Amino acid sequence: MLSAHGLRKCFGDLVAVDDVSLTVARGETYGLLGPNGAGKTTTISMLCGLVTPDAGEVALEGERIHPRATAPKRRLGYVPQEIALYPDLTARENLRFFGRLQGLGRDRLRARIQQVLEVTGLTDRADDRVSQFSGGMQRRLNIGVGLLHEPELLILDEPTVGVDPQSRNAILASVDALAAEGLAVLYTTHYMEEAERLCDRIAIMESGRIVAEGSRRDLVGTIDEQGRIRLEVAGAADEVATAVAEVGGVQSAVVDQGAVVCLVDRAAVRLPAILMAVGDAGAQVTGVEVREPDLEDVFLHLTGRALRD
Amino acid sequence: MLAGALTILAKDLRLRLRDRSVVMFALVVPLGLSLLLAGILPETEDLTLTAGVVDEDGSPAAASFAEEVLPELQRQGLVDLVDLDGREAAREAMASGDLDAAWILPAGFGQAVTAGQGASLEVLVNPDRGLRAQVARAIADRYGAELDRISLAVTTAATAAGGLDEAGAQALAAEVAASEPALRLVDEPAQDRQLDLPSHVSAGMAAFFVFFTVQFGVLGLLEERQAGTLRRLLAAPLPVASIHVGKALSALVLGLVSMTVLALAAPVALGARWGPPGAVAALIVGIVLAALGLMALVGSFARTAEQAGNHQAIVAVVLGMVSGAFFPLPLDEGLLRVISWVSPHAWFLRGLQDASGAEAWTAALPSAAALVGFAVLTAVLASLRIRRSVGT
Ligand SMILES: Nc1ncnc2c1ncn2[C@@H]1O[C@H](COP(=O)(O)OP(=O)(O)OP(=O)(O)O)[C@@H](O)[C@H]1O
Ligand SMILES: [Mg+2]
Repeated sequence: MLSAHGLRKCFGDLVAVDDVSLTVARGETYGLLGPNGAGKTTTISMLCGLVTPDAGEVALEGERIHPRATAPKRRLGYVPQEIALYPDLTARENLRFFGRLQGLGRDRLRARIQQVLEVTGLTDRADDRVSQFSGGMQRRLNIGVGLLHEPELLILDEPTVGVDPQSRNAILASVDALAAEGLAVLYTTHYMEEAERLCDRIAIMESGRIVAEGSRRDLVGTIDEQGRIRLEVAGAADEVATAVAEVGGVQSAVVDQGAVVCLVDRAAVRLPAILMAVGDAGAQVTGVEVREPDLEDVFLHLTGRALRD
Repeated sequence: MLAGALTILAKDLRLRLRDRSVVMFALVVPLGLSLLLAGILPETEDLTLTAGVVDEDGSPAAASFAEEVLPELQRQGLVDLVDLDGREAAREAMASGDLDAAWILPAGFGQAVTAGQGASLEVLVNPDRGLRAQVARAIADRYGAELDRISLAVTTAATAAGGLDEAGAQALAAEVAASEPALRLVDEPAQDRQLDLPSHVSAGMAAFFVFFTVQFGVLGLLEERQAGTLRRLLAAPLPVASIHVGKALSALVLGLVSMTVLALAAPVALGARWGPPGAVAALIVGIVLAALGLMALVGSFARTAEQAGNHQAIVAVVLGMVSGAFFPLPLDEGLLRVISWVSPHAWFLRGLQDASGAEAWTAALPSAAALVGFAVLTAVLASLRIRRSVGT
């Protein structure tokens, strides 16, 4: 339903998005996973027709999307990364305003506002100003506005950033429910677990490029044979990582949150040599964890960097 | 397109009314300042000096000032004469606020005149009475010039006659002085000003503040960009133009409402007379459009709402100051004259003046047309700039 080809966007010398192509099928949940500054928001801005790409194009159900196109934008629900609401208007007034912009008639608008307030759990607070809402409530309303006109494709830009775990779960559950109803979703995040939980297909984005794409199984499959060893060390983690990377069978070793994370071909076989290397580097191992690789490891493997900031 | 623009307009007006600063700028401050300024600036009639003369000389030349010049000024209504008993008495009367100025004819004054040397009289002024003090100085200056003329005649005669005795000199001086009409002082700029002070001040204030009122509409676009809501507007199925039209409409509505309320309130609150309703309406439309165009143009150079607000405020304040929005300025000389041909404030006030002096309200139309022309020019430039910055 949504297809983008060869998207490119530069800001001065910086290439924010470079040759990005993707498709989202009807009813599919597609994840765009990448760290801060990867180019997710810039990509979404082009997909929603907020900015003109320097190269490439976007089509929704065959209709081209660009800043001056109006018709295809009706099918699209966009939830910006930042809270994009008027704090001095009430929840209901915000919904009414954005609903009118979508061209909803009076009766349909009234009914939809009621439904969205229920879905977002804000019925009781409908007539309070948004400035008096908690961060989580504002997040929920921010998403609600995108759902108001019952779009066919919902584009969510990091909807759970800065949200407490409880609200976060609620948001994930409601996206899940919407997808189950057949809504196509494009979901942007830098949390691996969210992409793993929600998305049918995931694109991993780094420095403006999509470096891998596929289902979770496909992606993890690319490092199938491998294992992941996480070492808690007392000592200079950087030096340990460098030393461990030299060990035979170790494909990569990086420091993540003070620990050294390495991808190896066969964990059990390589572990003794790795522990030796740590000792030789003058550090002590305080904890070892060996497990199946996940998307985090895929990212680590592809880019040599950790996904988290 | 219009539906989207009107939706944005309605939302903006609701937000602006909730935010009290618009009401402050649009209504409260201009009215309050008009009341204040009209109270501070004295009317021309109020320029009447309470003043007296101290004659320390006692010569006929000194007496002529007290007995001929001053009574004439009193007759013209410029001076309210009081008797003064010496320099010290004058100082005390000034300190207690009873006196605006005193002219002092020092000892040797008459001597200097008849000897053909430049004679001068001293002026004591009350520093708290700025404008009246200036009038007192002007009177002294004019009399000084008059004395120089007489001195010159005396000297010339003395040289020609190869000497002149004191009696002869005095007779000649009296003759020269009498050959000219007594000293005349007229308040010239006041004569071709047709708007009275409350009208000028209240109209000037209204024109000055409408630039700030309109600014709120123009800033809306930058504010929405910063708040992130512009992304939602751009993602909605409506033409980009309707966002701009919506913003322009809200600026227009705010400006028109504010000007109209002030035009209706000024007569009641200040006794102002802006002139025939047709003229006032045409000029209000003109100044609001001009303000809209100029503020949009200035705003189009800024990246943030704060930056735009600062630049707009600077432009609005400077233009207002130099074009006589706060107090009447002589707009017929030098740089002020140039400014008065490009400043919307000056056109607005000129239009009101033209209409108040003329029979028909249409006398204001040339000024209104100039304002609309200004608006079109600035709006075209602004939209060229804004067009480039959206959608990139
Ligand atoms: N308007 C802009 N002007 C200049 N540079 C920009 C602009 N918008 C984005 N960038 C740059 O483009 C790159 C990609 O930014 P983008 O916001 O798309 O990343 P992101 O993946 O959404 O990151 P985050 O997770 O932090 O939201 C960054 O280096 C950013 O600094
Ligand atoms: Mg982003």
